[in-house]
Amino acid sequence: MSQEANADFSEEEKDILQEIMNIAFGNATADLAEVIDIYVMLSVPNIKAIAIGALPEYLRKTINEDVESSIVEQKFWGNFKGSGLLVFPSGSGKDILAFLDNKEVKDYNGDASATLEKSGLLEIGNILIGACVGKVSELLNTFVTYSPPQVIQNEKNEFNHLIEHFDPQQSAIVMKTIFTFKEKNINGFLLILTNHESIGWLRKALNDFMDSYE
Amino acid sequence: MIFSQIFDMLDVGIVILDRDLNVFKWNRWMTTHSKIHPEEVIGKPLFDFFPDLNTSWFLRNCKSVFAFGNFAFFSQKLHKYCFPFKAYNTLGSDFEYMQQSCTVGPLRDKNNKVNYIYMTVQDVTDIAAYEKKLITTNTKDGLTGIFNRRYFETKLTEEFDRHVRYDRPLSLIMIDIDHFKKINDSHGHQAGDFILKKLATLIDERIRTIDIVSRYGGEEFCCLLPETTIDSAMALAEFLRIGVETEIFQFKDKRLRITMSQGVSEINSDVDSAEALLKLADDALYESKRMGRNRIERMPEKQET
Repeated sequence: MSQEANADFSEEEKDILQEIMNIAFGNATADLAEVIDIYVMLSVPNIKAIAIGALPEYLRKTINEDVESSIVEQKFWGNFKGSGLLVFPSGSGKDILAFLDNKEVKDYNGDASATLEKSGLLEIGNILIGACVGKVSELLNTFVTYSPPQVIQNEKNEFNHLIEHFDPQQSAIVMKTIFTFKEKNINGFLLILTNHESIGWLRKALNDFMDSYE
Repeated sequence: MIFSQIFDMLDVGIVILDRDLNVFKWNRWMTTHSKIHPEEVIGKPLFDFFPDLNTSWFLRNCKSVFAFGNFAFFSQKLHKYCFPFKAYNTLGSDFEYMQQSCTVGPLRDKNNKVNYIYMTVQDVTDIAAYEKKLITTNTKDGLTGIFNRRYFETKLTEEFDRHVRYDRPLSLIMIDIDHFKKINDSHGHQAGDFILKKLATLIDERIRTIDIVSRYGGEEFCCLLPETTIDSAMALAEFLRIGVETEIFQFKDKRLRITMSQGVSEINSDVDSAEALLKLADDALYESKRMGRNRIERMPEKQET
């Protein structure tokens, strides 16, 4: 089983997934403008199959390009299963708050500004990850359930915990896209990590998707 | 039949809302805690009953669930509660309202279109009360009730970082009770503990709310003074010195008096770490002990280069 699923995605399958993501992100952009009142530009996604064992290293490299960042992580499950990781340059929390207008959030432990910033990151993370994963799921004719998002600190190398429940022998599909909030000067990137169990299903869903056009 | 029973049996609030955020379903838990019956609320806008929920974050998150079929989470940490219900069984804590963890998720029709959303409301008052207690035991000194050394050090680092970013003044006073051992030796440890408690209160009452006084060691206290220059810190130290010198500590039938020595430091470009600031105040404290006690010394002037 692991042998079979370990087989890398074929070029064709990658192309289909890429196309699906393009459509999904196009839909997401339109709806995001409606929901958060901001035009979010999403780049053409880059798709890679990476061995789980190599994932922490990949994340460290990819994320550390920006010296310090704020990361929102959210797990989702269903046929399509994995994690969304949203990476913002550190300090974006304040800019996000400015347009979210979250004055109502109640003070906690006297550390109001940090709490507010975190709430902004969590909220926007939840919406962006939900938009992208949701739209991809919709095209693949499935739906997923989400766990609460959390903010993780990259300096503490917390990536290991992300992959604890993955088998190091297995591989994951990593989809990376760069997003920019138009006119807000905020940008970052989104990674969708699909875990191994989903790969068989994903392959079938991709084929079904193609079949529906034939 | 069984599924509809779950709706009312669960110890969780469940509300189902339509696209206009009118209430479509309202379970028994919600009725019990809100005292609003289903027949009163169903078909009406949720905000008619809970106007405080009509906020940008609530609307945005509901829109998102309709648009993307994702979930929205309103944690107790960030929101405390969504519905203002009376708190009960709070383990003796002082929450006026039930602390809640709420989730909103999609409900789809046959064509996978999200026409309704559900909202679950979970009472997490017990957990929040427990957490509050843990935070207190973790940050406060058990004897005196002021902050402990661990909390002080965290705050010191935070304030130091703030200084680095915004270049705001920051001062520190180290305080040590003079001849404290004598009090313990001649009047007993209970008397010593009594003095520590009284002194902590005395200092705490004389500083601003943004200042932090902590018990740093046995009879050593430390005041962290954000937005304060060394001259103001020296004035405060003198105010404290006089306050303590003139105070009579009435322990049972004994009228005890104490004095204390203090060392004051301020951050400047030569001070490159929180520890260095602490060391300067400690050195100054040592100096005031050496100079005869019941006095205040300030750190050496900055060397002009």
